[in-house]
Amino acid sequence: MKKIIILAIVAVSALFAQVNEAVEVPYISYEIKMGKGFETVDANCLMCHSFGYIINQGPQSKDFWYKKTIKMIEHFKAPITKEDTVIITDYLFQHYGNGKLK
Amino acid sequence: MQRRDFLKASVAASAVALSTSAFAGITTQPIDSRKPSKIAFPEKKPLITYSDRPPLLESPRETFSRSITPNDEFFVRWHMPDIPTYIDTEAYRISINGLVEKELSISLKELKNDFEQVEVTSVLQCGGNSRSAFKPIAGGIQWGSGAMGCAKWKGVRLSDILNRAGIKKDAQWIGFNGSEKAIYYETPNFVREMKLDELDDHVIVAYEMNGEDLPYLNGFPVRLIIPGHYSDSWVKMLSNITVTKEYQSLFFMDIAYRVPDNATESETPEKRFKTTKPIAIMNVKSVIGYPTNETVVYHNSHVVVRGVAWDDGHGIKEVLVSIDGGKTWNTSILEKDVDRYAFRGFRFSFKPTTYGKVTIMAKAINRLGEEQPLAENVLWNHGGYKYNGIDTVTIEVV
Repeated sequence: MKKIIILAIVAVSALFAQVNEAVEVPYISYEIKMGKGFETVDANCLMCHSFGYIINQGPQSKDFWYKKTIKMIEHFKAPITKEDTVIITDYLFQHYGNGKLK
Repeated sequence: MQRRDFLKASVAASAVALSTSAFAGITTQPIDSRKPSKIAFPEKKPLITYSDRPPLLESPRETFSRSITPNDEFFVRWHMPDIPTYIDTEAYRISINGLVEKELSISLKELKNDFEQVEVTSVLQCGGNSRSAFKPIAGGIQWGSGAMGCAKWKGVRLSDILNRAGIKKDAQWIGFNGSEKAIYYETPNFVREMKLDELDDHVIVAYEMNGEDLPYLNGFPVRLIIPGHYSDSWVKMLSNITVTKEYQSLFFMDIAYRVPDNATESETPEKRFKTTKPIAIMNVKSVIGYPTNETVVYHNSHVVVRGVAWDDGHGIKEVLVSIDGGKTWNTSILEKDVDRYAFRGFRFSFKPTTYGKVTIMAKAINRLGEEQPLAENVLWNHGGYKYNGIDTVTIEVV
C-alpha cells in the first residue's frame, strides 16, 4: 500500500514545477571602467544586456566594436544615434580594445 | 584623434603586435583560469558567470569528470534579456500551426499523457564552446570548455506531435519559438528553423532532465532536443511550432551560428570567406574533468584521469591519453556506451615518476576514425565556432 501511495504522489507532482513560484535571476555587478562615453554606453547598451556581455567578448579591435554597435542597430533594432555609435565605439576601444584599428 | 592619443594607441598596437604576431590565426588551449562566481543563480550551484542579463553560465572543468552533468551544474545560455521567470504549468500550451491539417494546442498534461514517452541521453554543446582558444580573438563570449553538458532527456518525439497535427504536402520547414523576449518590440524573436527532411525520431520535445523538471534556466517547462547538433536550435521554453513551405529569413538563422562554407570550415582574419553555412552537427571532442590545471599530486601516487568524449552520434571508438605532453599515447578505459549521443566517460590511471610539471592530454577518436587535432592545428573562423582541439592539463608533482 505504501508503494502505491508513493507512486501516486510522484504522478501528481510531475505536473508541478520544481520551483512553484517565480524565480529571480540575480543581479551581478561587473567592474566597469569609468571614462568618457560611459554614460552613453549605460544609456544605450545596458538597456538590453549586462556589462558582462560586453567585456566577456575579450579585448577587440576598433573595427570589431564599431561593427558590434552597428549589429545592435541593424539586427537588434536598438535606437542608437550616429553620434552615440561613435562615442560607444571609442569608449569600448579605449577600455576594452586590443590596440588594433582593424 | 589627438596626437597624444595617437601615440598612446600606436604604442599599445605595437605591444599587441609583438605579443600575438607569432600566433596570428593560430589557436591555443581555451581559457581555463576562471572561477565560479560567488553568487548562485536559481536552481544552480555557483557557476562561471559571464552575464546576468541574459544569463550566461559555464560549468567548471571538474563537472566533466562525470558523464552525466547534474542539473545544478549545467551551463546556461540565453539570447534575450527578458526570460520568463514564472510558468503557469496549468495554462502553458505549445501551439502547432501553419501547414498542418489540424492546429494543435498541447498542454503539459497532454504532452505527458497522450503521447508515447521517450528518452534520449544527449550532449548539449554551444557552437561557441571553447571559443577563447581562437587567436586572434573571435567575436562572441569567450567561453572556456564548459559551455556544454550531457543529460538524460525525457519527452515526446517531435515527429509524433507533427503527425498528430498532420503535415500538409507542401510543408518543408519547421520554425520554433521560445518564450524569451527582447526589450524592443522590433527586435527579431529567437526563432529557429529546421528542414523537415532533417527531422528524425531522435528529436524530442523534452520536459524532464535527469529525472527532474528542467531548471528554469535550462528552458522549463519544455525545450527542443536535437541530438548530435550544436545547441543553437535546442529552443528553450518552446511555445510555438510553425510548419511552412518557404524558409523564413531570420537573423538567428542567417547571420548567427554560421561557419565558412568550405571543406575545412575555415578562413583567415585578413581574408574572410564569402559564403557561410550553419554550424550544424558536432565534431569529435573530449575534455578532461580531472585533474585540473591546479592539481598537485604526490610523486608515485595513483592518479586517475577522468573525462568525457563525444561526437555527433557516430560514437566514440577510443580515447587516448598522454602523460608526457603528447610524445606517447595510451589507451584509456571507456565507460559503458549509454547512448550514441551521450558523453562517453573515460579514465586512465598512472603513477607520476617524475617531479615538477606533468602535462596530460586526451584525444578522442570516433567510429569513423575521425580524431581530434592538436589545439594549434584547429583552423580559425571568425565566429570562433566548433573548436575541438586536444585538451591539455598541466599538474604539479611534488
